[in-house]
Amino acid sequence: MNNKELIASMALKMNAPKSLVAVLLETTVITCTELLVDDKTIGFQSFGNFEVRKKEERLSVHPSTQVRTLIPPKLVVNFKQSNILKDKLKDIPHHE
Amino acid sequence: MNREKISSQEIIDLVATKASVSKRAAEEFLKVMIASIEEALLAGEVVKIKNFGTFKLLWNEPRKSVNVQSHEEITLAGYYKVGFVPDAVLRVQVNEPFAHLEPVELDVKTNANDRGEKNEDAALDPLRIFTEQATEIRSLISEIQALSSTPKTTIAEEKKKDEDIAEINQFEKFPQIDLEFQDESETTDLIAEQQEAQTQQVNTHDISEEEIEYVLGLPQNTNNDNSQISSELPVTPYLSNIITPRKNRTWMWLLIIIFSMTALGAGFYYTYPPATEFTKMTLAKCEYSVTKISEEISSSEMIHSISGWFAPSAQKTLSPETVIIPKDANDFDSINQNQPVDSLQVLFDNPRVYSDFIASERIKNGSRLTIMSKRYYGSKEYWVYIYEANKDQIQNPDDIPVGTLIRIPKLDLRLIDQANPRCIKKARELHDIYIR
Repeated sequence: MNNKELIASMALKMNAPKSLVAVLLETTVITCTELLVDDKTIGFQSFGNFEVRKKEERLSVHPSTQVRTLIPPKLVVNFKQSNILKDKLKDIPHHE
Repeated sequence: MNREKISSQEIIDLVATKASVSKRAAEEFLKVMIASIEEALLAGEVVKIKNFGTFKLLWNEPRKSVNVQSHEEITLAGYYKVGFVPDAVLRVQVNEPFAHLEPVELDVKTNANDRGEKNEDAALDPLRIFTEQATEIRSLISEIQALSSTPKTTIAEEKKKDEDIAEINQFEKFPQIDLEFQDESETTDLIAEQQEAQTQQVNTHDISEEEIEYVLGLPQNTNNDNSQISSELPVTPYLSNIITPRKNRTWMWLLIIIFSMTALGAGFYYTYPPATEFTKMTLAKCEYSVTKISEEISSSEMIHSISGWFAPSAQKTLSPETVIIPKDANDFDSINQNQPVDSLQVLFDNPRVYSDFIASERIKNGSRLTIMSKRYYGSKEYWVYIYEANKDQIQNPDDIPVGTLIRIPKLDLRLIDQANPRCIKKARELHDIYIR
């Protein structure tokens, strides 16, 4: 499901025009991004938490050339699902 | 680090103020958003949100573990978890504080040192080249004085290094002093030349003087092969003459080019604004003529568009709106391509309300919504609108109980335009939503 399909399904559920939904989705994304940049944790009830985590610098060794490289620290967005969502996911059977 | 947690309520408030919608609308939107994402995830789909990231289910394999108390082996069941991969845009924005850092290869240290040495070499280069040239010149001079055959090359080389000539002369001193001993056994001509060279050393600070002396000294020096030198002698003054005018000429060219470019730019600037105004005027004219043919324009609008010709700046904002709006009101599709497309999109996006009905039919054995659609609207694709109008009556569009009264809604003609592929596309989209 890509962005367009998500907007379409949401518009159908909300009984609202797609353009409005698209604008709202965009503002939500921008708001969330700004909050994350400010190093805040965002918690959506029943869905999960978004937070920024710091990955420390590390030394990586190229397996074949043995070249050691210092990887600098970085900040990444991490998502942790809520327990409610986890319980819901437990019900899906695993098929592969 | 400041770990402040933002709840969904705060997000709702922020979104409501930013998008200038009511808090209730924002709340509903957020709820629906999470519900849709969840639903899609539970259906095993990947959900992608533009500029934010991708949600995807990841399977955690079941694994064996040991009960700490009873030392019994237990298996933890496998489970799905929601994985989130942030979009490149989000990733870059969040990582802003560390964006300047780049991976560093540590084992390249020795290489870096090498490079430093090389740099030092490069720094010493002019000096080294200089000493090399000095030794070269020294050997050449000794050759001249020994054989008195190839004086031209030394002169040419020294000419190249006019600036450094003072230092070169320091090097020259040594060979010439050394050579004095040889000279005693050689011809008187050579002695004379050397004396001249020594006088040269005295007035080293004056380059041109020294050059002249060199040139003057040459004929005396090279009596043996006059023919060769006489042909090559004029080269030095000629070269020095040629270099200066060329420099002047490049400056001249640069000046001319800069001047012509500025002139061109200025000319362009003066001619361009009138040209754009002219095109705008002609555009207004075209629009005006088109609308004149297609429909009546009220006199006030006409005045607007006419006044637009004479005051192009005012026309920019006024005439397009005033001229196009009446077209929208009527159902003219063919004249302007952009406007009807947008109105059609609005028509598609807005939820349809069915109030007028043209007919009603009772479902019999073998009745199909598609057949009804074909009969009333001319194409079976538009059955979705009949279904939408009778949603309260029909649970499953594939299986409608016999005897159900179906009302055929009156539809906007633009919505069921046979010639427009967008209409059919929209109907198919709806079809996909309803038949899942």
